[in-house]
Amino acid sequence: MSTRRRDELDGVINLCRAVQAGSVEPFAVDIDYMLQVIRRYYPETTSLRDFCTDAKAISGLSTVLGRQNEWIQHQSTTLYKDPFLLNQQLMRMEVGAIADVFLRSWHPLLQMEQLSAATLAGSLAYWTDLIPLAERWREEELQLVDAGTATVEEARALGYIPEEGFAQLMEGFWRELEARTGSGGRIAYWDWIGADTYEETVRRSYLTVFLVSYGYAGIEADRLGETVTIVHNPVPRFDNGQARISVPTLVDYEEWRQWRRE
Amino acid sequence: MAKRVRSEAGYARKAKEAVHLLFFQHHRLPGVRGWELRQELGPDWLSVLEVLDKQLQPLDLQVTRVLDDPNIVEPDQAQLADARFYVTMRGGIDQRSAKIIGWRVDDIAGLAVAIAFIISKQGKTPRVNVEKMLQEKLPGWRVKMSVDRYIQQGYLGEDDKGVLYLDWRSRAEVDQKQLIDLIVAFGKKPTESGPVVAPGEKEDD
Repeated sequence: MSTRRRDELDGVINLCRAVQAGSVEPFAVDIDYMLQVIRRYYPETTSLRDFCTDAKAISGLSTVLGRQNEWIQHQSTTLYKDPFLLNQQLMRMEVGAIADVFLRSWHPLLQMEQLSAATLAGSLAYWTDLIPLAERWREEELQLVDAGTATVEEARALGYIPEEGFAQLMEGFWRELEARTGSGGRIAYWDWIGADTYEETVRRSYLTVFLVSYGYAGIEADRLGETVTIVHNPVPRFDNGQARISVPTLVDYEEWRQWRRE
Repeated sequence: MAKRVRSEAGYARKAKEAVHLLFFQHHRLPGVRGWELRQELGPDWLSVLEVLDKQLQPLDLQVTRVLDDPNIVEPDQAQLADARFYVTMRGGIDQRSAKIIGWRVDDIAGLAVAIAFIISKQGKTPRVNVEKMLQEKLPGWRVKMSVDRYIQQGYLGEDDKGVLYLDWRSRAEVDQKQLIDLIVAFGKKPTESGPVVAPGEKEDD
């Protein structure tokens, strides 16, 4: 494609950009002419660069059409007033009169940047629980100790090794779900994870993440996450071919207390 | 299932909670999302807001709702949950009050012109055009500073290409239709359809 022709296409692209930026009115552009330019040079398009220029011009043209559509929609709204008339009015009005007109349609917002009793109480609780910097930033003090040995039972007793393998743990958890919901049944999330202690509730919530991720169960949440349900899978679906999504669930202490009360 | 009806005392308590949510700033930007209000106030949160709005009326305040898409007329539940709610003044204010809250007449007029100009350009226009328009009535050195201030305060937004648009605060605080109607009607003789503003005259007077 010759330089002159490419320049002509670049001109089309620049004009479309100007419309997009709002510096040229969308209807000031002659769409038919621009289409003619693109069509005229299309048979001469051979290189990748030419194809890209062509695609940019077509994309720009579609943006102009989009802006024309928006313009028509804007004109059909109650907000539309002839821009020329509006500008003339603004030019005619004194600064004070413009301010008066604005003040009548202005409803300033009220909001205070100030502590409430609740945030103050929350902050105090946070402060109380906050570990002093001296402790948090304390450098690790290494101690030289003699190496020793421990049996598997001892390591298990110390909590370094789980009582059973993870796979068995999942299987057991899955069977518990089946026992509570029946095969293929469903249960509300909090009824499933809720336990007598908060620690156990968090543990069950943690295990449920794996139960769902490994296909032993499904999770259903409404759009706003108000109700979350766990669904038992009679046969584990290790990969059901569906897109994986994350469903964040908050296991809040206050929520646990409320669940306990109910 | 029978719908739970909240007692009068229940509504009063919830309205109080709504006041705490709406009056105190919780996030970087003012306002509370609908879903946050629903979470705190319960499923009848819209009725609670209605009650609060009535209670605020004698104080010349109101609960204002701003939808993400300003073209929506009758929002559904999901759109209301995404909407942002504020407390704003119900009526307009006069120039004296505006001065008290830190606004010069020049600044107010500049903001009015910028907003009206952007509306007339379908909601966005290059910054240079707005500045050119403002320079007709305001000294050049003030114009850039004013536009920067409007952007900083959230009335106008500017993208990386230097195009200005109406930001959250204009949508929350300014009755755009009323502003445009008042500007267009300025100086015209009153008709049967209603009074219009005459130069140097205020409706409240």
